[in-house]
Amino acid sequence: MATIDKEELPVKEEFLLDEKTLREIETMKGAGQWSIVWRRIKKDKMGMLGFYIVLFLIAMAFVSWLLLSFDNWLTTQGYMYGNPHPGFEGSRNNLYIELWFPGMDIENPIILFQHPRYMDHANAKLPPSFQYPFGTDANGQDMLSRVFFGATVSLALGFIGQMTTVIIGTVLGSIAGFYGGIVDDILQRVIELLYSMPGFILMIFIIVLFEDVNIPGGKYAVVVIFFSLIGWGGTALIVRSNFFSLKEQDFVEAERALGASDMRIIFRHILPNSLAPIIIIVTLGIATTIFTFAALAFFGFGDPTAISWGDDLNRWQDFLIEYPWMPMFPALFIFFTVLGFNLLGDSLRDALDPRLKD
Amino acid sequence: MSLRGFIVRRTIYIIPVMLGITLMNFTLINISPGDPVIVRIGLIQCNTVECYNNAYNKEAIEMGLLSKDLYTVPWFERYVEFVNNLLHFDFGRSWYYEQAGQGMPISQIIGERAVYTITLNILSFIFSLLLATAIGVVSATRQNSFWDRSLTVAMLLGYSMPLFWLAKLLMLMSYYMFKFTGVANKDAFETPLIINGSFYKYLILPTLALTLGGLVFMARLVRSQLLEILRQDYVVTAKAKGLDRRAVIYKHAFRNGLLPIVTIIGNSLPGLLAGSVMVERVFGWPGLGTVFLEGALFRDYPLMMATNTIFPFLFLVARLLTDITYVFIDPRIKY
Repeated sequence: MATIDKEELPVKEEFLLDEKTLREIETMKGAGQWSIVWRRIKKDKMGMLGFYIVLFLIAMAFVSWLLLSFDNWLTTQGYMYGNPHPGFEGSRNNLYIELWFPGMDIENPIILFQHPRYMDHANAKLPPSFQYPFGTDANGQDMLSRVFFGATVSLALGFIGQMTTVIIGTVLGSIAGFYGGIVDDILQRVIELLYSMPGFILMIFIIVLFEDVNIPGGKYAVVVIFFSLIGWGGTALIVRSNFFSLKEQDFVEAERALGASDMRIIFRHILPNSLAPIIIIVTLGIATTIFTFAALAFFGFGDPTAISWGDDLNRWQDFLIEYPWMPMFPALFIFFTVLGFNLLGDSLRDALDPRLKD
Repeated sequence: MSLRGFIVRRTIYIIPVMLGITLMNFTLINISPGDPVIVRIGLIQCNTVECYNNAYNKEAIEMGLLSKDLYTVPWFERYVEFVNNLLHFDFGRSWYYEQAGQGMPISQIIGERAVYTITLNILSFIFSLLLATAIGVVSATRQNSFWDRSLTVAMLLGYSMPLFWLAKLLMLMSYYMFKFTGVANKDAFETPLIINGSFYKYLILPTLALTLGGLVFMARLVRSQLLEILRQDYVVTAKAKGLDRRAVIYKHAFRNGLLPIVTIIGNSLPGLLAGSVMVERVFGWPGLGTVFLEGALFRDYPLMMATNTIFPFLFLVARLLTDITYVFIDPRIKY
């Protein structure tokens, strides 16, 4: 007769917790919601990679913006004529990006980059070398400088476009979700209409129609405005469904019993509770937005006068086989940006909502 | 309600949506700055104001902006006219594509070009669906294995790669390997297409690009859906019963995973359509996408209006088919 040896049974532990859950509990100990999220992201290697890529790109965009504005300021103030060669009384065009501070020798400032708009025709179509790490394009512009200073416009467009889209979507989605009824019905029908059009095609249609509009900010301002006017549907739907489930909760009921106004309930109570999906939408959406703007520029619907990756890509796309470095570097940076935001967004989603994790 | 009733109701539902879309496009054209008549006549050679005015009025009457006695036609009359023409499949004449001195009828252009777009899209859709299923199943059933990890990373890289750039890279690669860029030229489109060998040769690269574009999107989806289902109780039960692993995956898990996959694929169709526009443009494939982009670059308003009616229509039909597929996949669905 077979008897079970009692020593072998796990009598010691009442709850069998696997290692993963134990680690999760360890992570949670004594921390607020956001530090838990941060700790979870830190454990995710791919997420951290995305985080560093995004951080690097943002720093690059910011530094290039500062440098360019500082250089412009120096030139307009008359401190610098932009030409580093002493004794050369040439053009007053800004040929280089210099760093100069009061006290330094004005004849010999530190030259950081060739100015992104400076066309040095003598040095056109050079392959990557020590002097030009990314090569030069057919106009003799330094590709490194084009890519470095193009980060500002490319990233800023992505950020601004996505932020406006999400803000419009959140406001409309909150109103529809909170009040329901006819407002909700109208909103749903509008979203249905907007979503029946392929977004990329609708964007091109609109840009062509409105390219003559003169508003400050140039052509890209028109692009961003219409991008947010047609893109808010997805955010609105998610915020709306979040509001539907949250507004029936007890804490909202309690707040209403205390006499809070609708606006207070929406903005102080329900919205902060549905912040997680909004943050995920923003991060993943920036990737899509940057991709969309790059695609628009690639097919010739950008602003050819702007310094941005998409426009450089458009200009040199047909040179790919002969001079691969010209379109390759802007494309590579678009790819890294999209990759970084996708990685960070995926990791954020897993951290904010562990239920969704594989 | 019967199945037929459901299908009829969903089909009729397309009509108001299409009306809304055409109204939106029409309004956008109307509120946009710039005079379409001036765009149309362009740099006309005229020495006197009178000559210019005559040309302007003639063009405006032809475009339907002015009535015969030079009164402005109200916008709703023009809209009714537009919808009426639409019902007769008459999209007017193109401004950019010309034939024998006057614009080609747009319905003729579309009729000629649609076959290219449809061939390209259906082929790559089928390929990417099959490949995505295979990759998704391999990844999900061997979670965290070497294959799963490398496939996931590859999918992530592909997902972050802009589709138009992927197409360009394919072109570069093919050029280095076979000295063949895949940019379509005239003899690829000699009729009859079915027996034209070079048509298939030039079809390869666009199909490959579009397949990869759809594949990276769908494979992620299939994987995550299957993973979720493989954790369900009934799958555990099936395994515990001692069923064959293959039977568990394909008969129990995969069939139930189909529904959400079909939903998202149905919703992502406009994205696929936009992808086809990009790929067609890169390879010079003369489908509807190229027609649309060229029309847009040359401000061909009637052509853009036509493509902007056809693309949503194709999308709505595809979504209708998705909805009908649901009913066959999932008997629980009430219609």
